[in-house]
Amino acid sequence: MTSTRQHGVQPPERGKATRAPRNAPPSTPRSSGWVIVFPLIAAVLLFAISLSDRARGAGTVALSLQGAAVAVVALSLALLVWLRKTGVTRTIEFTGARKQHYIQAMVQLSIFLYWGWYWQLTNGTRPVYLMAPLILAQLAFAYAIDALVSLWRREKYVFGFGPFPIIFSINLFLWFRDDWFYLQFVMIAVGVLGKEFIRWEREGRKVHIFNPSAFALGLFSLILVLTSSTGMTWGPEIASTLRLAPRIYLYLFLGGLVVMYFFRITLLTMTAAATLFGLGAAYYAITGVPYFLDTEIPTAVFLGLHLLITDPSTSPRTPPGKIVFGVLYGASVFGLYTILGSFGAPTFYDKLLAVPLLNLSVRWIDRMVAGIPVTSIWKKLGLDALEHRANLMHMSVWIAFFAGMTLLGKTDGRHTGDSLPFWGEACSNELPNACKRLLLLETTYCTDNSGWACNEVGRHYTEGRITAMNEDRAFGYYSRACELRYQAGCLNLLDPGSVTEANPRAFDLRLLLREGGLNLLDMPEPQLYTRACEHGWAFACNRVAGAL
Amino acid sequence: MNRASYTTRDETGMGRKPRDRASMASDRMIPGLRNSGMMLLSAIVLGSVTATPGHAQAGGPPARGAPQATARMAPLPTFRADAWGLPDEPQLGFVEISGGPFLMGSDPRLDPESFENEHWPGDGTMGTVDLPTYYISRYEVTIGQFRAFVEATGRTVDPQALLAPDSYPVIFVSWPDAVAYTRWLEGEMKKSATTPPALREMLNTGWRVTLPTEAEWEKAARGTDGRIFPWGDEEIAGPANIAGRSLTPVGYFDCSAVCANGLEDMSGNVWEWTRTPFSGTGYGGVTTAPDLEADALWVMRGGSYADALNLNRVAVRGGADPGARRGFIGFRLAITRD
Repeated sequence: MTSTRQHGVQPPERGKATRAPRNAPPSTPRSSGWVIVFPLIAAVLLFAISLSDRARGAGTVALSLQGAAVAVVALSLALLVWLRKTGVTRTIEFTGARKQHYIQAMVQLSIFLYWGWYWQLTNGTRPVYLMAPLILAQLAFAYAIDALVSLWRREKYVFGFGPFPIIFSINLFLWFRDDWFYLQFVMIAVGVLGKEFIRWEREGRKVHIFNPSAFALGLFSLILVLTSSTGMTWGPEIASTLRLAPRIYLYLFLGGLVVMYFFRITLLTMTAAATLFGLGAAYYAITGVPYFLDTEIPTAVFLGLHLLITDPSTSPRTPPGKIVFGVLYGASVFGLYTILGSFGAPTFYDKLLAVPLLNLSVRWIDRMVAGIPVTSIWKKLGLDALEHRANLMHMSVWIAFFAGMTLLGKTDGRHTGDSLPFWGEACSNELPNACKRLLLLETTYCTDNSGWACNEVGRHYTEGRITAMNEDRAFGYYSRACELRYQAGCLNLLDPGSVTEANPRAFDLRLLLREGGLNLLDMPEPQLYTRACEHGWAFACNRVAGAL
Repeated sequence: MNRASYTTRDETGMGRKPRDRASMASDRMIPGLRNSGMMLLSAIVLGSVTATPGHAQAGGPPARGAPQATARMAPLPTFRADAWGLPDEPQLGFVEISGGPFLMGSDPRLDPESFENEHWPGDGTMGTVDLPTYYISRYEVTIGQFRAFVEATGRTVDPQALLAPDSYPVIFVSWPDAVAYTRWLEGEMKKSATTPPALREMLNTGWRVTLPTEAEWEKAARGTDGRIFPWGDEEIAGPANIAGRSLTPVGYFDCSAVCANGLEDMSGNVWEWTRTPFSGTGYGGVTTAPDLEADALWVMRGGSYADALNLNRVAVRGGADPGARRGFIGFRLAITRD
C-alpha cells in the first residue's frame, strides 16, 4: 500500500472502540452510511448486465444476475440499518493496487484473450469473448460481497485488485452452463466467505487458509463429482479448448515466468511439473502407453501449476516447503486422474480437488521442513531462503527444463496419444488401459458426430472383446452411425450377426485428427490424408502413395 | 410439413460440433437423386417439405382437390390393440407374395414418364427378377403400431412421429427407427401367443420381420405383369392418396379390388423406406455391395400424398439420408427368409 486516501469518516484510532457512544451526535452514523453506495453500484452494474444481449439470450442467466443484484441490495440495506442502529462507523479505503493482484490478473487476462481468440465456433462466435460481460458481472458481485462482508466485520474495507485474480482464476477453469449460472455466484460467494471466515494463525498472523478461487473450485468440483452433476458446467470444454490456441504451453510458460519473477513461485511450479512429467515418463516406460490420454501434462493442469497453486498466502513460504507442496500437488493430480476415471467421473476435476487439501497441509509442511538442516549444498542451490538471486537461478533451471520437454515433443505439437491407430494397436497388444482409452476416445468422437467412431463402438459392444457384450448398446451405436450416414453402421443394423467395418470417411478424419480441437473442416483432402497417414492410418498412407 | 419439423442436430458442443447437420441434411435428398438424373423428383420431394402439414386434417376425409381417387366404400381397416396395433386380419395384415419372377424397372418406350435410374443397365429397359416367397404388410405402419413400440422400448423418437391419430401412417421416422421397429416387432411376435401359430413358427425357423428390399417392394406393388401403377397402366389417379394436401389413414382409399396383391397405399400417402442401399444407377437385378466409404443413402419407394402422379409410379426410386425424419416418409413391413 503506497498511498491511502480516505473518504467519509476518519477511521478510529487503532485499538479504540469503534462503537459510537449512545449519545453521539447523529452525524456519525449518517456519515458512515455512504459505504453502501459501493455495493449498490455493483448491484446496478449487475442489473445493467442482465439487460445485455448475452444475458437476455438465456433467461436463466438474466435472472441469475438480477437475483445476485437483489441479494447485494438486500445485504447493503441490512448493513445500512445495522450501521444506523448501532452507530458503528465504517469506511472504505482506496489503496494503490497490490502487485500480487494486478500482475496475476494481467497474466490471466492475457490468457483469456489469447485462448478466447482461437476458441471459435463454426458460426464465428467466440465463447470466451461472449463470456466477458458475465465475467464483469462476477467481478462486480465479488467486489460487493467482499465489501459487505468486510464492512460487517471490520471498520474498513480496503478497495484493491483482490477480486480480479479470484474471478479470473475461477473462470479459467469452470463456468456453470446458462441454466445453472446462478451457481457461479454461489461459488464466488463461497470463495469470498471462505477467505473471510476460514482462517488460522500462521507465522504470528491471522491469515486465510484456502486460496479463495481454489477453495470454491475444489469444493464445487467435489459436490459436482459426488452428485454426478458434472454436466452442469463447461469445465471439460474449457480444458480441452485451451489446446486450440497454438503453442499454448509456450504461452502459459512465458506468462508464468512473469509471475515467477515477481512472486518467487518457481520452485513450486517447477517441482509440480517435474513430478507430473516424471511420473508420466515412468508410467510410459512401464506400460508403453501415455498416462494422460493425449498429452504429457494436460494444458489445464499446466495452467493450474502457474496460477492456481501459487498463491503465496496459502502455500509454504520456505524453499523446501514449496518443493514439498509442488511434489504433493503433482502426485495428487496424477493420482486423482486415475481415481476419478475409475469412478467414471470426468478426469477434468483432477487439478481442482487437491488444492484445498494442500492448503490445509501448509502448516504441517512448514513444520516438517523446519527440521531439515540447512547444508552448504542447499545454500548453493538457493534452497535456504528465497532471495531474488536464488529465484532467478531456479527460473533458469525451469527454463532449461521446459526447453528440454519441448525438444522432446512433450509440450506443444503432436503427441503419441493423439493417434487412434496407436491406441488400437496398443489395445490389440493388451497394453494396460489401452482398450479402455480406445473405447473412451471412440465414444467421444461418436458424440462429436463421427459415424466411423459410432460404428467402432457398436462393434466393440457386439464383439464383447474389450468391453462387455451388449446387444442393445451396439444397436444404439449402429443406429447413430447410420444416421450419420456411415454405411457400415446401417448394414450392421440390418444384420447384427456379422460385423461390417470400413475406413473413416474424409468427414470422420476431420474429427479424428483434430489433436485436441483444431478445426480441419476446410482442410483440402490431400492434406487431410497426409495428416491421417502421419497419425498412423495405413489406408491413408496408401491413398497418399497412390496419388503420387 | 414445414422445415422446422425437419430433424436437426444443432451445435451444442461449444466448438466440438463442426458442422451444421441441418443444412447438411437438407442437401441429402439431392445427391442420390441428382446422380440418377432425377432433379425433377428431388425438387418435388423437397418441395413437399413445405407443403400443407400432413396432419392438418387428421381424422377427416381427404381435402377437396385431392386426386380423382375412389373414396373408400368398404369400412376402414381395424387394428388389434392386443397385437401391437397390427391389422385385425388372420395373418395380422401380412400378405403372401408367391415366389417367382416378375418384371422390374421401366421401359421408356412403354412408360415415357420413367426416370433414367429405373432403366436397367444393358438395353435400358426392364429386367426379370426371381424372388422367393415372402410376406409384406397390407398397410403402411401406423402411428398406433409405432406408439406401441415406443412405449415398450422407451426409444427416443421425433415427437412429431406420434402426433396424429393412431390410424395414420407413421412419419418423421429415420431409417434406423424403422429398422429398430422391425427388430422389436420380430422379438415380440416370436414369443407371443397372440401371433398366429403359422407366423410364429416361421419366425422361429429363420424368417425375419424387416423392411422389404426394393425388389420385394416393387413386385408386391405391381405384381408380375409389369404394370406401371398398382392398379394398372392407366395414367389416372387410382384409389390412392396422390397429389393431395394431407395424409390419410392407412387404407383410406380402398384399393383391394384393383391393386396388385390387394395392398393399400403402395402409391401415395407416404414414401416407404426399403432395406436396399441407393445407387444412382438402375437396379440391374442384383443388389451390389454398397460403397462403404460413401455417405449412405437408402432407397424409398411409393411416392407420397404431396407428389404428382408420375412420382407415384411403382418403379420410381427415391433415395434419402437414413437420418432423415420427414413428414412424408414412413415404411411398411416384410417377412422374409434369411
